[in-house]
Amino acid sequence: MAQTMDGPDARTRAGDLAAFESVMRQYERLVLVTALRLLGNIEDAKDVSQEVFLRLYRNLGKVETEKNYQAWLYRVTVNLCHDVGRKRKPSVAVEDVPELVSGAADPQQVLTGSERQRVLQMSLRTLSGKERAALVLRDLEGLSTEEVARALGSSEATVRSQISKARVKMRDFVERYFRRRV
Amino acid sequence: MNCVDWEERIALYAGGDLAPAEAPAVEGHVAECAGCQMLLGGLRESLRLVREVHSEPVEAAHFAAVRARVLAELERAPVRRWRFVWVPAMAAAAVVLLLAIWPRPEQHIALPMPHKPAAPLVAKVLPKLPKARPRAPQASEDVVMKIETDNPDVVIYWIAEKGETK
Repeated sequence: MAQTMDGPDARTRAGDLAAFESVMRQYERLVLVTALRLLGNIEDAKDVSQEVFLRLYRNLGKVETEKNYQAWLYRVTVNLCHDVGRKRKPSVAVEDVPELVSGAADPQQVLTGSERQRVLQMSLRTLSGKERAALVLRDLEGLSTEEVARALGSSEATVRSQISKARVKMRDFVERYFRRRV
Repeated sequence: MNCVDWEERIALYAGGDLAPAEAPAVEGHVAECAGCQMLLGGLRESLRLVREVHSEPVEAAHFAAVRARVLAELERAPVRRWRFVWVPAMAAAAVVLLLAIWPRPEQHIALPMPHKPAAPLVAKVLPKLPKARPRAPQASEDVVMKIETDNPDVVIYWIAEKGETK
Protein backbone atom coordinates (compact mmCIF):
# COMPACT_ATOMS: atom_id res chain seq x y z
CA MET A 1 0.00 0.00 0.00
CA ALA A 2 1.35 3.41 -0.91
CA GLN A 3 -0.40 5.13 1.95
CA THR A 4 0.33 4.85 5.62
CA MET A 5 -1.45 6.37 8.59
CA ASP A 6 1.20 9.07 8.60
CA GLY A 7 0.46 10.20 5.06
CA PRO A 8 1.75 9.46 1.61
CA ASP A 9 4.98 7.52 1.37
CA ALA A 10 8.15 8.82 -0.26
CA ARG A 11 7.29 7.33 -3.65
CA THR A 12 3.95 9.08 -3.71
CA ARG A 13 5.44 12.38 -2.63
CA ALA A 14 8.10 12.03 -5.31
CA GLY A 15 5.36 11.87 -7.91
CA ASP A 16 5.44 8.12 -8.62
CA LEU A 17 2.25 7.50 -10.61
CA ALA A 18 1.87 3.87 -9.55
CA ALA A 19 2.03 4.92 -5.90
CA PHE A 20 -0.41 7.74 -6.55
CA GLU A 21 -2.82 5.30 -8.19
CA SER A 22 -2.90 3.41 -4.89
CA VAL A 23 -3.82 6.62 -3.12
CA MET A 24 -6.61 7.19 -5.63
CA ARG A 25 -7.98 3.70 -5.06
CA GLN A 26 -8.06 4.37 -1.35
CA TYR A 27 -10.03 7.59 -1.62
CA GLU A 28 -11.95 7.24 -4.87
CA ARG A 29 -15.20 6.25 -3.23
CA LEU A 30 -15.06 9.17 -0.81
CA VAL A 31 -14.58 11.64 -3.64
CA LEU A 32 -16.80 10.18 -6.35
CA VAL A 33 -19.79 9.30 -4.18
CA THR A 34 -19.69 12.62 -2.33
CA ALA A 35 -19.61 14.42 -5.66
CA LEU A 36 -22.42 12.22 -6.97
CA ARG A 37 -24.64 13.05 -4.00
CA LEU A 38 -23.90 16.75 -4.28
CA LEU A 39 -24.36 16.96 -8.05
CA GLY A 40 -26.85 14.16 -8.75
CA ASN A 41 -25.10 13.27 -12.00
CA ILE A 42 -22.44 10.60 -12.41
CA GLU A 43 -20.70 12.26 -15.35
CA ASP A 44 -20.35 15.56 -13.51
CA ALA A 45 -19.21 13.64 -10.45
CA LYS A 46 -16.51 11.91 -12.50
CA ASP A 47 -15.31 15.25 -13.88
CA VAL A 48 -15.10 16.67 -10.38
CA SER A 49 -13.32 13.56 -9.09
CA GLN A 50 -10.74 13.86 -11.84
CA GLU A 51 -10.04 17.47 -10.92
CA VAL A 52 -9.89 16.66 -7.21
CA PHE A 53 -7.22 13.99 -7.74
CA LEU A 54 -5.22 16.18 -10.11
CA ARG A 55 -5.19 18.88 -7.45
CA LEU A 56 -4.23 16.33 -4.82
CA TYR A 57 -1.26 15.23 -6.94
CA ARG A 58 -0.08 18.81 -7.26
CA ASN A 59 -0.49 19.39 -3.52
CA LEU A 60 0.89 16.15 -2.09
CA GLY A 61 3.52 18.02 -0.12
CA LYS A 62 0.92 20.16 1.61
CA VAL A 63 -1.40 17.33 2.61
CA GLU A 64 0.53 15.50 5.28
CA THR A 65 -1.52 13.24 7.50
CA GLU A 66 -4.31 10.74 6.94
CA LYS A 67 -6.82 12.94 8.72
CA ASN A 68 -5.75 15.95 6.68
CA TYR A 69 -6.08 13.87 3.55
CA GLN A 70 -9.76 13.22 4.17
CA ALA A 71 -10.53 16.75 5.33
CA TRP A 72 -8.68 18.19 2.34
CA LEU A 73 -10.47 15.88 -0.11
CA TYR A 74 -13.91 16.64 1.33
CA ARG A 75 -13.25 20.37 1.27
CA VAL A 76 -11.97 20.43 -2.30
CA THR A 77 -14.75 18.11 -3.50
CA VAL A 78 -17.44 20.26 -1.92
CA ASN A 79 -15.93 23.46 -3.33
CA LEU A 80 -15.64 22.07 -6.85
CA CYS A 81 -19.18 20.69 -6.70
CA HIS A 82 -20.34 24.08 -5.53
CA ASP A 83 -18.72 25.68 -8.58
CA VAL A 84 -20.35 23.13 -10.90
CA GLY A 85 -23.67 23.31 -9.07
CA ARG A 86 -23.97 27.05 -9.60
CA LYS A 87 -24.43 26.33 -13.30
CA ARG A 88 -27.08 23.70 -12.59
CA LYS A 89 -30.82 23.88 -12.09
CA PRO A 90 -32.04 25.18 -8.74
CA SER A 91 -33.38 22.77 -6.15
CA VAL A 92 -36.85 21.22 -6.57
CA ALA A 93 -39.73 21.96 -4.24
CA VAL A 94 -41.09 18.97 -2.34
CA GLU A 95 -44.55 19.67 -3.76
CA ASP A 96 -43.25 19.15 -7.30
CA VAL A 97 -42.08 15.62 -6.59
CA PRO A 98 -44.19 12.86 -8.21
CA GLU A 99 -45.83 10.35 -5.93
CA LEU A 100 -45.26 6.64 -6.07
CA VAL A 101 -48.65 4.87 -5.73
CA SER A 102 -48.24 1.41 -4.30
CA GLY A 103 -50.50 -1.00 -2.50
CA ALA A 104 -47.62 -2.81 -0.88
CA ALA A 105 -47.36 -2.81 2.90
CA ASP A 106 -43.93 -1.22 2.63
CA PRO A 107 -43.63 0.73 -0.65
CA GLN A 108 -39.90 1.11 -0.15
CA GLN A 109 -39.48 -2.63 -0.62
CA VAL A 110 -40.96 -2.59 -4.13
CA LEU A 111 -38.30 -0.21 -5.39
CA THR A 112 -35.48 -1.55 -7.50
CA GLY A 113 -31.92 -0.52 -6.81
CA SER A 114 -31.94 2.19 -9.44
CA GLU A 115 -35.25 3.54 -8.18
CA ARG A 116 -33.90 3.73 -4.66
CA GLN A 117 -30.92 5.67 -5.96
CA ARG A 118 -33.34 7.96 -7.77
CA VAL A 119 -35.30 8.59 -4.60
CA LEU A 120 -32.11 9.57 -2.80
CA GLN A 121 -30.98 11.87 -5.57
CA MET A 122 -34.39 13.49 -5.91
CA SER A 123 -34.68 14.02 -2.18
CA LEU A 124 -31.29 15.72 -2.18
CA ARG A 125 -32.45 18.02 -4.97
CA THR A 126 -35.13 19.42 -2.68
CA LEU A 127 -32.37 20.88 -0.48
CA SER A 128 -30.41 24.06 -0.94
CA GLY A 129 -26.74 23.66 -1.82
CA LYS A 130 -25.55 24.28 1.73
CA GLU A 131 -28.21 22.06 3.30
CA ARG A 132 -27.32 19.30 0.85
CA ALA A 133 -23.60 19.54 1.58
CA ALA A 134 -24.21 19.49 5.33
CA LEU A 135 -26.56 16.50 5.16
CA VAL A 136 -24.35 14.52 2.77
CA LEU A 137 -21.26 14.96 4.92
CA ARG A 138 -23.01 14.42 8.26
CA ASP A 139 -25.70 11.83 7.58
CA LEU A 140 -24.35 9.99 4.55
CA GLU A 141 -20.57 10.24 4.93
CA GLY A 142 -20.74 10.15 8.72
CA LEU A 143 -18.51 13.12 9.54
CA SER A 144 -18.91 14.80 12.92
CA THR A 145 -20.58 18.18 13.07
CA GLU A 146 -17.18 19.72 13.78
CA GLU A 147 -15.64 18.06 10.72
CA VAL A 148 -18.54 19.16 8.55
CA ALA A 149 -18.16 22.73 9.78
CA ARG A 150 -14.46 22.65 8.93
CA ALA A 151 -15.06 21.22 5.48
CA LEU A 152 -17.74 23.79 4.69
CA GLY A 153 -16.01 26.73 6.33
CA SER A 154 -19.02 27.32 8.60
CA SER A 155 -19.69 27.37 12.31
CA GLU A 156 -21.02 24.27 14.05
CA ALA A 157 -24.21 26.15 14.96
CA THR A 158 -24.81 26.95 11.30
CA VAL A 159 -24.18 23.35 10.30
CA ARG A 160 -26.61 22.05 12.94
CA SER A 161 -29.29 24.42 11.68
CA GLN A 162 -28.68 23.33 8.07
CA ILE A 163 -28.75 19.66 9.01
CA SER A 164 -32.02 19.91 10.93
CA LYS A 165 -33.75 21.76 8.08
CA ALA A 166 -32.38 19.28 5.56
CA ARG A 167 -33.61 16.30 7.58
CA VAL A 168 -37.12 17.70 7.84
CA LYS A 169 -37.23 18.44 4.09
CA MET A 170 -35.96 14.97 3.32
CA ARG A 171 -38.58 13.37 5.53
CA ASP A 172 -41.27 15.44 3.81
CA PHE A 173 -39.98 14.25 0.44
CA VAL A 174 -39.82 10.59 1.38
CA GLU A 175 -43.31 10.62 2.86
CA ARG A 176 -44.72 12.40 -0.17
CA TYR A 177 -42.93 10.11 -2.59
CA PHE A 178 -44.34 7.02 -0.95
CA ARG A 179 -47.69 8.66 -0.16
CA ARG A 180 -47.35 7.58 3.37
CA ARG A 181 -48.97 10.04 5.66
CA VAL A 182 -47.92 8.72 9.01
CA MET B 1 -44.24 26.28 22.94
CA ASN B 2 -45.94 24.70 19.93
CA CYS B 3 -44.67 21.75 17.93
CA VAL B 4 -43.02 23.89 15.22
CA ASP B 5 -40.63 25.15 17.86
CA TRP B 6 -39.64 21.57 18.66
CA GLU B 7 -39.02 20.61 15.03
CA GLU B 8 -35.36 21.64 14.82
CA ARG B 9 -34.42 19.93 18.06
CA ILE B 10 -36.32 16.77 17.14
CA ALA B 11 -34.52 16.68 13.79
CA LEU B 12 -31.17 16.99 15.56
CA TYR B 13 -32.23 14.39 18.11
CA ALA B 14 -33.14 11.95 15.32
CA GLY B 15 -29.58 12.05 14.01
CA GLY B 16 -27.85 12.11 17.39
CA ASP B 17 -26.77 15.74 17.12
CA LEU B 18 -28.63 17.21 20.06
CA ALA B 19 -26.63 18.23 23.12
CA PRO B 20 -27.08 15.64 25.88
CA ALA B 21 -28.46 18.29 28.22
CA GLU B 22 -31.30 19.04 25.78
CA ALA B 23 -32.28 15.45 25.06
CA PRO B 24 -34.49 14.86 28.13
CA ALA B 25 -36.69 17.84 27.23
CA VAL B 26 -37.19 16.55 23.68
CA GLU B 27 -37.89 13.04 24.89
CA GLY B 28 -40.42 14.40 27.38
CA HIS B 29 -42.24 16.38 24.71
CA VAL B 30 -42.25 13.55 22.17
CA ALA B 31 -43.66 11.17 24.77
CA GLU B 32 -46.67 13.43 25.19
CA CYS B 33 -47.15 14.67 21.60
CA ALA B 34 -48.50 12.29 18.92
CA GLY B 35 -47.60 14.69 16.10
CA CYS B 36 -43.98 14.93 17.19
CA GLN B 37 -43.83 11.15 17.63
CA MET B 38 -44.78 10.86 13.96
CA LEU B 39 -42.24 13.50 13.01
CA LEU B 40 -39.49 11.67 14.87
CA GLY B 41 -40.53 8.34 13.33
CA GLY B 42 -40.55 9.84 9.84
CA LEU B 43 -37.15 11.46 10.33
CA ARG B 44 -35.61 8.20 11.50
CA GLU B 45 -37.17 6.27 8.65
CA SER B 46 -36.01 8.68 5.95
CA LEU B 47 -32.52 8.76 7.45
CA ARG B 48 -32.40 4.96 7.44
CA LEU B 49 -33.50 4.88 3.80
CA VAL B 50 -31.01 7.41 2.49
CA ARG B 51 -28.15 5.86 4.46
CA GLU B 52 -28.98 2.44 3.08
CA VAL B 53 -29.11 3.70 -0.48
CA HIS B 54 -25.94 5.74 -0.03
CA SER B 55 -24.01 2.68 1.13
CA GLU B 56 -24.96 0.65 -1.94
CA PRO B 57 -21.97 -0.03 -4.18
CA VAL B 58 -21.21 2.19 -7.14
CA GLU B 59 -20.20 0.53 -10.40
CA ALA B 60 -16.48 -0.14 -10.40
CA ALA B 61 -16.25 1.08 -13.98
CA HIS B 62 -16.86 4.65 -12.81
CA PHE B 63 -13.89 4.54 -10.46
CA ALA B 64 -11.71 2.93 -13.10
CA ALA B 65 -12.67 5.63 -15.59
CA VAL B 66 -11.68 8.40 -13.19
CA ARG B 67 -8.37 6.72 -12.40
CA ALA B 68 -7.58 6.25 -16.07
CA ARG B 69 -8.37 9.87 -16.87
CA VAL B 70 -6.26 11.20 -14.01
CA LEU B 71 -3.26 9.02 -14.87
CA ALA B 72 -3.54 9.87 -18.55
CA GLU B 73 -3.57 13.55 -17.69
CA LEU B 74 -0.54 13.23 -15.42
CA GLU B 75 1.39 11.20 -17.98
CA ARG B 76 0.56 13.70 -20.70
CA ALA B 77 1.68 16.72 -18.72
CA PRO B 78 4.06 15.58 -15.98
CA VAL B 79 5.92 18.87 -16.13
CA ARG B 80 3.02 20.58 -14.48
CA ARG B 81 4.08 19.02 -11.20
CA TRP B 82 7.83 19.23 -11.68
CA ARG B 83 7.82 22.73 -13.07
CA PHE B 84 7.46 24.03 -9.54
CA VAL B 85 10.51 22.03 -8.47
CA TRP B 86 12.75 22.77 -11.41
CA VAL B 87 12.21 26.50 -11.55
CA PRO B 88 13.67 27.23 -8.10
CA ALA B 89 16.35 24.57 -8.61
CA MET B 90 17.50 26.13 -11.87
CA ALA B 91 17.41 29.58 -10.33
CA ALA B 92 19.58 28.40 -7.44
CA ALA B 93 22.04 26.78 -9.85
CA ALA B 94 22.24 29.99 -11.86
CA VAL B 95 23.03 32.02 -8.74
CA VAL B 96 25.79 29.58 -7.72
CA LEU B 97 27.29 29.71 -11.21
CA LEU B 98 27.16 33.48 -11.24
CA LEU B 99 28.92 33.71 -7.91
CA ALA B 100 31.59 31.29 -9.11
CA ILE B 101 32.51 33.29 -12.20
CA TRP B 102 31.93 36.78 -10.83
CA PRO B 103 35.27 38.62 -10.40
CA ARG B 104 36.13 39.03 -6.76
CA PRO B 105 36.75 42.59 -5.49
CA GLU B 106 40.24 41.80 -4.19
CA GLN B 107 41.39 40.88 -7.68
CA HIS B 108 41.13 44.55 -8.63
CA ILE B 109 43.22 45.83 -5.74
CA ALA B 110 46.93 46.00 -6.24
CA LEU B 111 48.95 44.64 -3.39
CA PRO B 112 51.13 47.24 -1.74
CA MET B 113 54.72 46.68 -2.73
CA PRO B 114 57.66 47.82 -0.78
CA HIS B 115 59.57 50.63 -2.41
CA LYS B 116 62.88 49.10 -1.57
CA PRO B 117 64.24 46.70 -2.34
CA ALA B 118 62.70 45.97 -5.73
CA ALA B 119 63.35 42.31 -5.49
CA PRO B 120 61.20 39.15 -5.39
CA LEU B 121 59.57 38.73 -2.09
CA VAL B 122 59.27 35.48 -0.26
CA ALA B 123 56.36 35.40 2.09
CA LYS B 124 56.32 32.90 4.84
CA VAL B 125 53.99 32.39 7.72
CA LEU B 126 56.04 32.21 10.82
CA PRO B 127 55.33 32.29 14.49
CA LYS B 128 55.89 35.68 16.00
CA LEU B 129 59.49 35.97 16.98
CA PRO B 130 60.85 37.90 19.89
CA LYS B 131 62.25 41.22 18.86
CA ALA B 132 65.99 41.11 18.58
CA ARG B 133 68.19 44.09 19.01
CA PRO B 134 69.15 45.41 15.60
CA ARG B 135 72.79 45.25 14.81
CA ALA B 136 74.90 46.34 11.90
CA PRO B 137 75.51 43.63 9.35
CA GLN B 138 78.97 42.19 9.07
CA ALA B 139 80.64 42.18 5.71
CA SER B 140 80.78 38.41 5.59
CA GLU B 141 77.12 37.82 6.50
CA ASP B 142 74.05 37.66 4.36
CA VAL B 143 71.68 40.59 4.70
CA VAL B 144 68.21 39.72 5.89
CA MET B 145 65.45 42.32 5.62
CA LYS B 146 62.33 41.73 7.63
CA ILE B 147 59.04 43.32 6.50
CA GLU B 148 56.13 43.21 8.86
CA THR B 149 52.64 43.31 7.42
CA ASP B 150 49.29 44.27 8.92
CA ASN B 151 48.74 40.61 9.64
CA PRO B 152 50.90 39.79 12.64
CA ASP B 153 51.20 36.18 11.45
CA VAL B 154 52.65 37.20 8.11
CA VAL B 155 56.21 38.44 8.01
CA ILE B 156 58.22 38.86 4.83
CA TYR B 157 61.92 38.24 4.81
CA TRP B 158 64.21 39.39 2.02
CA ILE B 159 67.56 37.74 2.05
CA ALA B 160 70.49 39.16 0.12
CA GLU B 161 73.35 36.79 -0.30
CA LYS B 162 76.81 37.67 0.83
CA GLY B 163 78.45 40.31 -1.31
CA GLU B 164 75.24 41.43 -2.94
CA THR B 165 75.06 44.59 -0.83
CA LYS B 166 78.51 45.69 -1.71
